[in-house]
Amino acid sequence: MPLSTQSQGDDEQYVLVASLDNARNLSNILKAITFKDHAIFSATPNGLKVTVEDSKCLQANAFIQAEIFQEFTIRDDSVGFQVNLTVLLDCLNIFGGSIVPGVSTALRMCYKGYGYPLTLFLEEGGVVTVCKINTQEPEEPVDFEFCSTNVTNKVILLSESLKEAFSELDMTSEVLQITMSPSQPYFRLSTFGNSGNAHYDYPKDSDMMELFRCTKTQTNRYKMSLLKPSTKALALSCKVSVRTDSRGFLSLQYLVRNDDGQICFVEYFCCPDEEVEEQ
Amino acid sequence: MNCVLEGSGVKAFGKAIHALSRIGDELWLDPMVRGLALRSVNSAHSAYACFLFSPLFFQHYSLGSASEQSSESIKCKLAMKSILPLFRCLTSIERNVERCQISIGTADDRVMIQFFCRHGITKTHNLRFQESEALQAVFAAHLCPNVLKAPARLLGDMVMHFSVCQEEITFSMTPQRVTLKNYYEGENDHMKTMYTEMSLHPDEFDYFQIGVESDITFCLKELRGLLSFAESHCLPVSVHFGAAGKPVCFSVEDMVLEATVVLATLSDSESKGSSQLTGTLAPSTPRCADAAVLPVGSCEADSSKAQDIPAMMEMIPSSQGSPITNLPVLMLLQPETDDPNGRGVADEAFATATLTPASSMICSLLFRSSEQDDDGCAARLPVLACYSDEEANLEEDYTRSPSL
Repeated sequence: MPLSTQSQGDDEQYVLVASLDNARNLSNILKAITFKDHAIFSATPNGLKVTVEDSKCLQANAFIQAEIFQEFTIRDDSVGFQVNLTVLLDCLNIFGGSIVPGVSTALRMCYKGYGYPLTLFLEEGGVVTVCKINTQEPEEPVDFEFCSTNVTNKVILLSESLKEAFSELDMTSEVLQITMSPSQPYFRLSTFGNSGNAHYDYPKDSDMMELFRCTKTQTNRYKMSLLKPSTKALALSCKVSVRTDSRGFLSLQYLVRNDDGQICFVEYFCCPDEEVEEQ
Repeated sequence: MNCVLEGSGVKAFGKAIHALSRIGDELWLDPMVRGLALRSVNSAHSAYACFLFSPLFFQHYSLGSASEQSSESIKCKLAMKSILPLFRCLTSIERNVERCQISIGTADDRVMIQFFCRHGITKTHNLRFQESEALQAVFAAHLCPNVLKAPARLLGDMVMHFSVCQEEITFSMTPQRVTLKNYYEGENDHMKTMYTEMSLHPDEFDYFQIGVESDITFCLKELRGLLSFAESHCLPVSVHFGAAGKPVCFSVEDMVLEATVVLATLSDSESKGSSQLTGTLAPSTPRCADAAVLPVGSCEADSSKAQDIPAMMEMIPSSQGSPITNLPVLMLLQPETDDPNGRGVADEAFATATLTPASSMICSLLFRSSEQDDDGCAARLPVLACYSDEEANLEEDYTRSPSL
């Protein structure tokens, strides 16, 4: 692969170098969180975390572990920058989006540090493209203070059972209400639209319910407009964990398998709609 | 009303709603003793469809307490856009839905539609409805001189040759053949239009009766839903019609359901002025949608309008056995409809209907007369939509006619 013929000496100038034989292993997962233009990249020796936020009420994170990359070298303990995610995705797909078996775009992503652009070397079929994307000062992502000790209710569902429900959701409803309870209806999604209301009930003993751990009855409403982007992550995933904490904050964690069968995670955090009090 | 559908019945129900959505923007749900009727009419009142599911179609069908069979029974009207999305993806319904329960609550103004799906998942929809008068079109199929019965796929295969945008087609019948061709207005775009015409030999039909040679032109789009339904159920399609200007009725039936679409047809241009006499309302515009308005009536319990009605008008009983009310013939639905033209046509029609000497004949053609046994009104005219409390007496007359 032409990209690997770069001399080792060049790499000394980069604080971060990440290579993938198949750029889709990065671009696909980034598409699941592209609801805003800008993304905060945070790299540690463990891997890459990409964060997108909306009005401080919704946060999406994509985690790609270091093991997914063919090469992942980081000089500092943590490297952070902000780039335009739409532009990045356009570059990753620069050779066209069509999927031809056996042909993939190879990626080498390099970053020299604060003030430098993010450099992408992309290669397909012997053709190499170099993209330099301007970076910005990374904003501090909101800390939703969502920790496992505060989690009151947790379920893990197979994504296929939720995909249909989410595609059918009544979009005239301003909110999506999630009810979780140790008793009936166990797990319920509700909408309140122009024509009436709708409820989707998942019983705790359903074979789509992989894990059911609810300690108390909670009903929370979340703005539909905030949760709608999570449908993209749901579409890619095979399993999803839904957790709420004592404040009614929602955590959705999606398990995504990439083209090579490796596991990555996408996580959404959402604040409850303030008008409704928790029960 | 409370009913439960199983598996494939849910898909058939959904297909009926798809077909009705091609007609109008509103769906009438009319639970009756003889079954659940789903009806729709278009805004110009030139197309009407009714799907009647008999109690046998359901795993369980009940109308609630006996008192609900009186005029207090719920007749509800739903916006098509609130119910169609529930049945939009029929393949996914077929795959996932095991059972569907529909109930109309007397306490609140909601229809509850509950889907019991695989994996224990339940989807419950509570839709708001408006209470409404019953929607009904009465069409005397037995009076139609021309009757055809086409095998399931025949008509569907024929209309496939017309483009999806083709609004109207002309259906012609002679003793030698049945022809379908596309209808075009005026002399415009002679060079740009593609003309399609196809003919069928009478032998292609399961039943072929020709009383009068005629060419009828009607809106094809509104028929496609029924043809698709017939095809999916492998049901033959019956066609009843007469001369141009009179409505045409397409119907299918099997043991547990009956579906009918009644479409207005364009009247012949030379008889435009006197078209009222033939029992249709035909303003001067040739557009099918405005050309002939169907005799769609609503049965009101409001008797305060009785004084306005001239004495020569027939009395029209409601299908639910509610008190007999005087109604003007050819009265259209309540003015909730947004179509000002529709109302205008109705007024004009009403005015002409009262003045023409043939109007009493029109009355008895379109609506069942409650006095037909004692008055001198021609032969006893069988009608289609009879009120439920006299069903038992009339059943033997109607074995072959599609009822609405």
